[in-house]
This record gives sequence, structure tokens and C-alpha cells, in this order.
Amino acid sequence: MAEPLLSVQNLFAGYEGQSVLKDVSFDVPEGGLITLLGPNGHGKTTLLRCIAGLLKPNGGQIHFAGRRIEGAEAETVVGLGVVLIPQGDMLFPDMSVYDNLKMGAYLPRVRRTFEQEVEKIYEILPRLKERTTQLARTLSGGERRMLAIGRGLLAGGRILMIDEPSLGLAPIVIDQIYEIIIDLKASGRTILLVEENASRIIDLADRIHLLDTGQIVWAGDGEELHNNQQILETYLGG
Amino acid sequence: MNFFIQIIVSGLTFGAMYALAAVGLALVWGAFNMLNMAHGIIMTLGAYFVLVWAEGWGLPLWFAGPFAFIAGGVFGAAVYFTSAHWMLKQRNFEITIIIATFGLGMALESGLMKILREWFHVSPYAQPLSMGADSFLIGDVPVSYQRIIIWAVAVVLIVLVGLFLTRTTMGRAIRATAQNRDAARLMGVKVKRVYVIVLALASALAGVAGIMLTSFKDVVPLMGQTPMLKAFIVIVLAGLGNMTGALYAALLIGMVEAAVKVLFADKWGFLAMLIVVVVAIIWRPAGLFGKRQVARQ
Repeated sequence: MAEPLLSVQNLFAGYEGQSVLKDVSFDVPEGGLITLLGPNGHGKTTLLRCIAGLLKPNGGQIHFAGRRIEGAEAETVVGLGVVLIPQGDMLFPDMSVYDNLKMGAYLPRVRRTFEQEVEKIYEILPRLKERTTQLARTLSGGERRMLAIGRGLLAGGRILMIDEPSLGLAPIVIDQIYEIIIDLKASGRTILLVEENASRIIDLADRIHLLDTGQIVWAGDGEELHNNQQILETYLGG
Repeated sequence: MNFFIQIIVSGLTFGAMYALAAVGLALVWGAFNMLNMAHGIIMTLGAYFVLVWAEGWGLPLWFAGPFAFIAGGVFGAAVYFTSAHWMLKQRNFEITIIIATFGLGMALESGLMKILREWFHVSPYAQPLSMGADSFLIGDVPVSYQRIIIWAVAVVLIVLVGLFLTRTTMGRAIRATAQNRDAARLMGVKVKRVYVIVLALASALAGVAGIMLTSFKDVVPLMGQTPMLKAFIVIVLAGLGNMTGALYAALLIGMVEAAVKVLFADKWGFLAMLIVVVVAIIWRPAGLFGKRQVARQ
């Protein structure tokens, strides 16, 4: 079996002595779409922050493309090709949509090709093209999410981590966002997706990990989750 | 009418100087919430650089500006590596960095004093800037060419800083860091490099502001103190971290100071300025141009 692109092993993490992640392990194979499913406040975002280098884990290992990256700085991790589209979008509010996108292509590996790549982003996310000169702070929730996704795509990483793409959005906008994710998967991108809502990912994910109070309590594919009434009722409210 | 011209002329001069000093402070605060209390000594050093350059080495004054700019920048980077760099992870960074840079500034000041007294037996120096001392008249008010030079230099530098921040990759990275540090890191911005560059740039501007100070002050080791205080007042009045606001606030403060000095007496200038600021801050706690409430989360 080929080595997974991203591998998290026995990860422990938390904030100020409060432990959030307890012994979390999982793999993301090249080209796969792996999801972390679970209610809010159970460590999903913390896990992505650890992988992205925004939070130092207290124990365990993270391997990416054969390198250990736990404890590395975020600016180093993204340079290796791990791109996080964060929860709450984390845009640059007083910069234009265009400048936000340009920040997405900050790394030398993508800076030169920005002008061509941004046109592709406009094709996927036409709303951004209408708003290029507008300040990010003036966008609607859905537009903000699209800008965060566009900015993340421009970073050109080998793995895309998306934190709660549907959070706080209207159903019709969520549909649009998921269409983009489906297309990304079809184009062979490796994706690690964090989601609270099982129905959105159950038919999409190659593998689903259920995270509860900082531990992975169940893992399997969508079909197995469908058939597992006990898990569905206990953790996902039917 | 002459009063009016006089106020405008000296208000613009003060304003230009405060703007140069304050823009740097605002830039540094915006990028990583650092109030640099060593900013004043760097202005002082700027003035001494000119002295050494022009009187010590006999080099032309025209090039003293770039020299002070570069030397200020080097000192700014040195301030970073002797204080902030080791303290970034501290929870109370905003407070501790004030104390650290305050100490650093004092150490530099007393070091400078010691060197001057014991090695050269001199202090203070009379105003060294002889360039552009001639003047022409607007109405009946004499305006020296020196003032024109000060305005021109300030405007050019501020425009250049503005272009740097909006048009270059590094400038965009600096603004991104100021607006959302973690997001900037996620884009691959090496934020520590941003901090060094921002502090060096601010200090380079302070070095040039220091030269301007020499046009109406004797060169002494403590000469940067009051202008630094005024620059702090400017950025608080503008709303911390707001650079465009800092420019307007610098002009406003300069004009108020000049008006009081011209119409009443020199000694009331600073007091009037403080009253304006206190009233403004009570009226708008986030500063005149502050969009958000400045408070710790």
C-alpha cells in the first residue's frame, strides 16, 4: 500500500492545560476525500489548526509527504503544500477581493502564475469576478466563503483542508459550495473536510471519521455509516 | 491675515514632522501591536547621524537624508532583535514590549550622553542644518526654503510608503499581517520578517524626522522625547493602527500647536494639544478615524 499523503498519529492537543484532542490517528491518501464529522466544540477545528501549524500539539506525530510537520510554523507548513481554508473565512477585511486572492498566491511557487490561475478561479466562482474591487468586509456570508475557497485554491497545495464549508450559510449557498467541492474531488485534489452535517458528506467522502470529545469514535465509509443506526442516533441525532 | 499664514506655515511644518514619526508608529502597532518607546531615541540618532555626516565627515547635506534613513532602519532592526523577537510569544506582549523598548531607549540615551560628554566633551550642538536657511515672503511672513524641503521630503516619503504598502508583494503581506495575522501565516507570509521590515521602515522614517527636528531644536540626547510623545498622541487621536488617520491627525495636531503658539505663547502649545486630544478621545474613544473600539478581546 502506498504511503498516505497525510498521516496523523496519536495526536494530543489543547489550549492552556485543557486537553481537546486525545490520541487522534487517521490517514489521508493522495487523491482521497476524507472527512472529520462531529458536533461543534469537539476538536475538529483544533485538529486542523494543529496540522496547519497554527497550534502546537502536546504529543503525537503528523507526517506529510514523508516529512514530520507537527510543531512547524504555519508559514512553513503551507510552503510544503498543506492549505487550510479556515473556519470563519479569516479574510483580510480591508483589502479588496482581488488583493485577497493575490494573497492566496503569495508563495513563490504560485505567485508567477497568478494572473492565469485567477481567471480559472473566476470561472469556478463567477461572483468573485463581479466583486474584484470591493473590500472583503462588504461581502455577504456566501461570498466570503467563496473568497476564502478561491484564496485557498490559489495557494496550489497538495492537500486542501476545508473547515466547515457550510457553517452559517443558506441551503442554496451550501449547495453551490458543495458543487465546487465535488468538482475538486473529481479533478483529483486531495481534500480533508471537516463537517458537522452528516447528510452533506455521507455519499461524497471516501472515508468518514467521527470525532467526539476529542477522540475518533468511529471510522468507515458512507455506506457503513448509513447502515450503522446506533452511531447515527448516538452522535448525529438520527 | 499674517497670523493666519504664520499658523499655516508652522502648522504644516510641525504636521509634516509628526506625520513622519507617527506613520511609523502606526505601521508597527498595526502589524504586531507593538508600541515602540525607542522611537524617540531613533529620531535623536537621526539628528546625530546628520551631525556626524556633515560636520564630522564633511559630506554634503543632500545625502544626509538617505544616510539617516538607512541608519535609522538598521537601528530599527536592531531594536527588533534586542527586544520584540524574544517576546512575541508572551501573553502580555503589548505591555511588556512597552517596558522593554522604554528601557532600551533609556539605555541608548544615556549611552549617547556618556559618549558625547566623555569622549567629545560636547553637548548640546547648535542647529546644524544650514541648508535652505534663506527665506522668501508670503505676505509679510518669511518662509524658509528649509520648510519647503521638510514638506517635500515628508510628502515624498509618505507617498512612497503608501505605494510600497499597496503596490508591492511585501507591502500587501504587511497589510495582510495587520488585518489578520494567522490568515497571513496560512498564506505563507513569514510574519517575523514582516515585523523586522516594518520596524526598520518606521525607524528609517524616524531617522529622517530627526533631521527635520534639527531645523528648530538644538541637538541633544533627549531631543526625541517630546516629538515621540506627540507622535503617540497623534496615533491615539487617529485610532491606533490607522495610518491614513495618523496623517490627518498629525496635520490637525500640528495646526493646533501652531495656532496656540502664534496666537498665545509657545508654552501653551503642548497643553492645548493635550486638551484637544482628551476631548477627542472622550468624544470618540476609538480615535477620530478608528473604525472599531480599541479594546483587548
